[in-house]
Amino acid sequence: MSSTAAAGAIDHHHDSTTVTGIPNKKLLMWAFLASDCMFFGCLISTHLIYRLHPPPGTPNARDVFSIELTSFSTFILLMSSLMMALAVNSIQKGNLKSLRWSLLTTIFFGLIFLGCQVYEFRNFVFEKHLTITNSILGTTFFTLTGTHGLHVLIGVIWLTAMLIYSFTGRLTEKDAIDVESMGLYWHFVDIVWIVIFTAVYLLEYL
Amino acid sequence: MIAPASTAHASGHELEQSKFWIFVQLAMLLAVITGLELVTVYLPFMKWILVAALVILSTVKFMFVIFYFMHLRWDKAFCTILFFIGLVLAGGTMWALLKLFSVADSKPLTLDAPAAIVRTVA
Repeated sequence: MSSTAAAGAIDHHHDSTTVTGIPNKKLLMWAFLASDCMFFGCLISTHLIYRLHPPPGTPNARDVFSIELTSFSTFILLMSSLMMALAVNSIQKGNLKSLRWSLLTTIFFGLIFLGCQVYEFRNFVFEKHLTITNSILGTTFFTLTGTHGLHVLIGVIWLTAMLIYSFTGRLTEKDAIDVESMGLYWHFVDIVWIVIFTAVYLLEYL
Repeated sequence: MIAPASTAHASGHELEQSKFWIFVQLAMLLAVITGLELVTVYLPFMKWILVAALVILSTVKFMFVIFYFMHLRWDKAFCTILFFIGLVLAGGTMWALLKLFSVADSKPLTLDAPAAIVRTVA
């Protein structure tokens, strides 16, 4: 049997038309994520430096944080990552119906995460009196988690656009690389939260 | 030797099917590890042991997500190298900053710091 027939199936991971053998959109996304690692690395280390050497008057983070809410948010984001992986799997198999349900669930989980973050921020500001300006803890915490939340919001908007495109016919099996690139971004948001959950929240409870 | 198209297609289909179950099992595993992390902070062990345990658990979660959910396991090695360049640079920057700011002169001033400075100058 000729290789032509075998080549009929789309290879979603490799692209023989590029020098690297990797689709350009995917390569661009990996390069962006590598640079975003450094961005979040600086924000996380700034927070850790001031937690290790807290200036006088810094509130006790343990009295402010709610580990139950944050654990729930972490679980939700992990599940959204599962649904995103299933969405990529669906588009690669050309199953648009499954793709739509997976995208919709991912959006739903993303919105729950954002809702939890808004609730947490409101609680910190109005109940615990921790604002972005009244202490170093507030400044580093809100900057770090707020930047992460902004990434989640961008991801939700991107997911919604993809969901709409799947109904209008602008997203087919041939565009699987677009969904895969978006998936990489969404999983990156998840791995950043894995680090934040440990470095910012859990370490405060030791 | 080139595999027949039907065989290649069948093995590809099996891989996609197995990926589905890999993802589901992995998500369950990640949820269990998150639960373990929560339990860890309440264990009555020395602080350095708990910190090491938390770092290891979160690293395991991190690696599982990037190699399975982000498909690095099935992608070309160049993607892994590219991402790890960013990761190593970020990790190095974090380590350098934490070391730099652990030096006494870099610590934030305390309320009695001005008096201490005056004493030093005198």
